[in-house]
Amino acid sequence: MDDRIPESSEYVIEMNHITKIFSGIIANDDITLKLRRGEIHALLGENGAGKSTLMSVLFGLYQPEKGEILKNGQVVKINNPNDATALHIGMVHQHFKLIDVFTVLDNIILGAEDTKFHFLTRREARKKITSLSEKYGLKVDLDAKIEDITVGMQQRVEILKMLYRDNEILIFDEPTAVLTPQEIDELMQIMKGLAREGKSILFISHKLNEIMEVSDRVTVLRKGKYIGTVNTSDTNKQELSNMMVGRSVQLEVRKTPAQPGEVILDVNHFCVPSRLHARNAVNDVSFRVREGEIVCIAGIDGNGQTDFIYGLTGLEKSNGGTVKLCGRDITRLSIKKKGDDMCHIPEDRHKHGLVLDFNLEQNMVLQRFLEPEFQKGQFIRFGEVRSYAERLIDQFDIRSGQGPITKVRSLSGGNQQKAIVARELDRDKKLIVAVQPTRGLDVGAIEYIHSQLVKQRDEGKAVLLVSLELDEVMSLPDRILVMYEGEIVGEFDPKKTTIQELGLYMTGAKRQQKKREEMA
Amino acid sequence: MEKIIPKKDGIQVFMASFISILIGLVAGIIVLIIVGLTNESISNSSIWDGVRLVVIGVFNTGRDAAGNLTFGFNPAFFGNMLFRAMPLILTGLSVAIAYKTGLFNIGAPGQYLAGICATLFIALSIPTSSVAPWIVWLLAFMGGMLAGALWGCIPGLLKSLMNINEVIACIMTNWLAACLVTWVFDISNLKNMIDGTKTGYIYKTSAVINDIVVDGVQKVVGTDIPAGATILATRGGVATPKFGLDSVFSGSQVNGGILIAILLAIIFYIIMEKTTLGYQLKACGSNRHAAQYAGIRDKRNIILSMALAGAMAGAAGSLYGLSGNTEFFWTTYQTLPAVGFTGIAVALLAVNNPIGVIFSGIFMSLLNMNGLQLTNLTAYNEYITDVIIAVIVYLSAFSLIIRTWLGKRKRRKKRPAVSKTGEVQA
Repeated sequence: MDDRIPESSEYVIEMNHITKIFSGIIANDDITLKLRRGEIHALLGENGAGKSTLMSVLFGLYQPEKGEILKNGQVVKINNPNDATALHIGMVHQHFKLIDVFTVLDNIILGAEDTKFHFLTRREARKKITSLSEKYGLKVDLDAKIEDITVGMQQRVEILKMLYRDNEILIFDEPTAVLTPQEIDELMQIMKGLAREGKSILFISHKLNEIMEVSDRVTVLRKGKYIGTVNTSDTNKQELSNMMVGRSVQLEVRKTPAQPGEVILDVNHFCVPSRLHARNAVNDVSFRVREGEIVCIAGIDGNGQTDFIYGLTGLEKSNGGTVKLCGRDITRLSIKKKGDDMCHIPEDRHKHGLVLDFNLEQNMVLQRFLEPEFQKGQFIRFGEVRSYAERLIDQFDIRSGQGPITKVRSLSGGNQQKAIVARELDRDKKLIVAVQPTRGLDVGAIEYIHSQLVKQRDEGKAVLLVSLELDEVMSLPDRILVMYEGEIVGEFDPKKTTIQELGLYMTGAKRQQKKREEMA
Repeated sequence: MEKIIPKKDGIQVFMASFISILIGLVAGIIVLIIVGLTNESISNSSIWDGVRLVVIGVFNTGRDAAGNLTFGFNPAFFGNMLFRAMPLILTGLSVAIAYKTGLFNIGAPGQYLAGICATLFIALSIPTSSVAPWIVWLLAFMGGMLAGALWGCIPGLLKSLMNINEVIACIMTNWLAACLVTWVFDISNLKNMIDGTKTGYIYKTSAVINDIVVDGVQKVVGTDIPAGATILATRGGVATPKFGLDSVFSGSQVNGGILIAILLAIIFYIIMEKTTLGYQLKACGSNRHAAQYAGIRDKRNIILSMALAGAMAGAAGSLYGLSGNTEFFWTTYQTLPAVGFTGIAVALLAVNNPIGVIFSGIFMSLLNMNGLQLTNLTAYNEYITDVIIAVIVYLSAFSLIIRTWLGKRKRRKKRPAVSKTGEVQA
């Protein structure tokens, strides 16, 4: 809560008393944010706290109802992103704005192209980008197409886009949500480098580890209100999470030792073909999950976890091995039949989890609309659907504008995820398949979903978790299986292993001997 | 869940279509005036007549002795408007149903042809001397729908099993249908041989056709049976019942088909909004991946949706053929029935709402009728109404923009009130 007296030279950007209202909902309520030159300023808050709205105001996407924006002490009016660009404000969006079939170079210069007689001249641009990428350690292949490069490199392209336009103020909107642990480390180094060179960075995140590591100061928002600004060196994770959530948060997963019972899921020599290459994406995978335990498949993204889950749930056809669920061979059954004893929190909530143009209550019965509870003679029982949705909304605290009839598209990401978790857990199946159930969620929601999964475990359910977050991998499961290039390369007890050890297996540096026979 | 669109949005959707219509009419009138002013054969009073016919032509009853337009209830106009609306409602329904499942059914013309072809064959082949005409009617109608459904299935199957774009498949099946229908009628005995002047046409379904043997030679005649002939069988004489509509709208061609069309629209509204089938179809249409994830059989639903859409376009052809007073020009291989394509406009204007399709279908037919009146009563030609239809269709495609504009205007009005509460809470 420092600095109330404006010192024009000290701050590159001041957002004073910003208030932004959306059809009755106050997204930003009298928020003040001051960005110093050359600092990394984190903006912390839960989903729906108003971080993105505030940044959209700064980027000219929204006009605030009240408040003013100062650049270098001068009041400026930012009516659209072009104004923002002219003021050297750049933004890396959470979902990249890149054209898949263009090359890296073309994507970077797009919108700021140099032309000669209306023909593109790429030579100057290439020179400038090469020097920028060397200066800041942003390794990219300028001639590769976006669709062929990794997510991490796509993000570096986005950063180069900002630098190419000589932006001084760089906004990163949840930049780590899509990255692997290694890529996150790399990004942190890049951000520090940028700040050293005098760029001012606004870093939107709800991941406390990253904020503690990289930022100089933190501004916390909660439910659209300004809570405070603190120096990172003067605070700790617990204090920040308390500020963010407004109550004391359990950062560690609280659970008793697992008491595994009967085998629920029995996977034997399971293979799933790859859509990209001739090899199997999942090759000869065997393991078991018992009731009352949480088993986590850990690994770096793209090592076959997604394909394994697709094969298990039926979204993709398997091409070898068997899967037994509650003693029944489900390998060749339809998705619906497989779902008899299994619920599935999917990895991609927009692609698989939700019909975004349906409202909340319609999404709540996505698998269940054919059950007698919700239909009679093929006619949907709207009353039952409504009260069911209301119960789930209430029980899982899903926040929405209009309750059951809210379009799911308009929910925040966290509430969308909560809706899926509510729907899936309430189906009450013996096996819970949860793929990155907390991706992109804030501490409060993560705490909630973790506690729900532990509760399900304690009720005798079997939980199969797939996670890329090492914190989650270490804290939630009772057993860890590491997957590397489509194979299980190691099994660990989270209490007896370290992140470093897991890392060796996840990168393929080490692998355990197969011991499938013993597992029986 | 009662409606996919919350009520407030419903009004906005309606307003957007309404505004499209208004702008279309205004544009039409402007064209009318410009054409009138630049064309020497059209006097100023004719321009005024033209404008009135476009706007309130529905109440026009012709001209009086002094040559002035007279207005009042015109039963024949109303009746013919409803008659022409019948196939439009059904093809509109066809496009709307497919759209709900995320498919663009541009194959309505082909499905329409398949429907009318099957219907004419059944209605004109089964001897009404041995089977009651109403049974023949029913079989012909069912057959027409089935043929349309099968024709619609083809793009559906290609889409769901081989992921071939349904638009391309639909365009191809349209021309396949046109050529097939021409060929099938060419080798059939359904070409009108009785009325000498009607070459190139198929019999009306209401016509009575007798297969007779005179002097050992087999012949086909109408009701004039030569002496000494033996009647082998009597065919035809099948038509949709009028349900008294002909007495309400005297002098018009209207029949019960319009009631069937409206009924089908209502049935589809109920299916789409109230049943599990509609829920599945819409889920597949909005997000095929999520539907798949939830265990909904997306491939089956795509085929089913195209089949239902085809059945409706088939029903349009079928009811048009069965109305009894229409004749089918069988060499259709060079043209596709326009009514199939107009169905797209009807569905667009109705924002794919089955109930809305009833009204937009009637409205489109009203514009057609206005065009005819312009030709009959003024020096204008009917194509001026095509300009209006074109503008309206063009604008309905922009209905989303109009809707956002309406939404913005509303919010601007609301804003002062809201920021007051904001202050209170701050």
